[in-house]
Amino acid sequence: MSEEEAERMLLDLKEKAELMVDLAYSSLIYNNKELAEEVYELEEHIDKLNDELQKLAIEDAKKGELNLNEALAIIKLATSTEMIADAARDIADVQLREIELHPILKESFLETDEIFLRVTISPNSILRNKKLGELHLASETGMWVIAIKRGDKWIYDPGKDVCLKENDVVFVKGNKEGKEHFLALAEGREKEL
Amino acid sequence: MKEMGKSPGRGKLPKWKEEELEEVEYEPRSIKDILIEMKNISELIVDLAYSSLLFDNKELAEEVKYLEARMDTLNYEIRLIAMMAARNKRDAERLTAILQIAEAAETISDAAGDIVDIISLKLDHPILPRLIRESDETIKKLVVSDKSKACNKSIAELRVASETGVRIITIRRGKKWIYAPKKDEKLRAGDIVVGVGPKEGLDKFNAFLEGKTEGL
Repeated sequence: MSEEEAERMLLDLKEKAELMVDLAYSSLIYNNKELAEEVYELEEHIDKLNDELQKLAIEDAKKGELNLNEALAIIKLATSTEMIADAARDIADVQLREIELHPILKESFLETDEIFLRVTISPNSILRNKKLGELHLASETGMWVIAIKRGDKWIYDPGKDVCLKENDVVFVKGNKEGKEHFLALAEGREKEL
Repeated sequence: MKEMGKSPGRGKLPKWKEEELEEVEYEPRSIKDILIEMKNISELIVDLAYSSLLFDNKELAEEVKYLEARMDTLNYEIRLIAMMAARNKRDAERLTAILQIAEAAETISDAAGDIVDIISLKLDHPILPRLIRESDETIKKLVVSDKSKACNKSIAELRVASETGVRIITIRRGKKWIYAPKKDEKLRAGDIVVGVGPKEGLDKFNAFLEGKTEGL
């Protein structure tokens, strides 16, 4: 495994693990089965990724490209990421199994200051066909895009050059105060940033 | 490895370990407050754990250990309260869902703790030296000095984001954590601030918090 590959791997695991935790809590807050199902999907994906990583680490150690401690580090990292993914699935499971939710639950989570939204970009939205870099969403709305789902494809932690397209499902995080503004922009009700 | 034979006295334990061993005092808090804090910790701790590994940052790893110990305490408290709150079968069923979430939140923080333990594996070089050199964004733990002009000023007043590009993701004040602090949160002497942003911005912010510069 080259340094570059290792770097990509670690970033990839970090982004997916964070996203899963966000999605799992959000499925509870918004009482949303679709989000919970996405957590299940991601969990399977992470399981596969972790299997591959562990094999790769062992192979590289055998070839002498990694020393034992390095290989061990990667295997431990994969194991811990899997633990996080499983825990996120357990949270989403509460939503999917239709366990009657305690009213406290929703109330608690709605009170947090940092919120997480899942919005579909409408054909009328001014965010459409614009690069994230030119939109300055974080400073204009206090919300930043952490992932985009385009059809079956996921884009995690999108860079400045990524363009939002209509029907993209975007996952944003940010301050409570920015919520309405961002929603209006994405749904095409508000035409100015 | 040298440390292993010794049996350290209590004074030699790291701070987070002391916190873990401290007796849990039963303070009546609502399940709601505890759950909010558990959710906040589980989101923050994942970010901090991977970041400490990415940037080979032992100070962040220490914060992860603090949070992990805090999470243990919260999970214990929530179980106590839940047991006392159940009056009938319906209550018990609904509280089960809450305990399932609390348990999962604790698992997440344990996993994060395991991730930062990887740093102590004594790797010949950090796993990702390239990233440390080239990444434009990094994460840093900063301390507010009592000499700093930042004391008693809010994040908004200081215009941290616009002057430095730094986003403050958490503040630790003694044993209390402020997760995703609001713009009107005032910094105090002794605060531990975790910021994410461009290297130059963080250095500038750090110099200001240490009291070496008069303003941002």
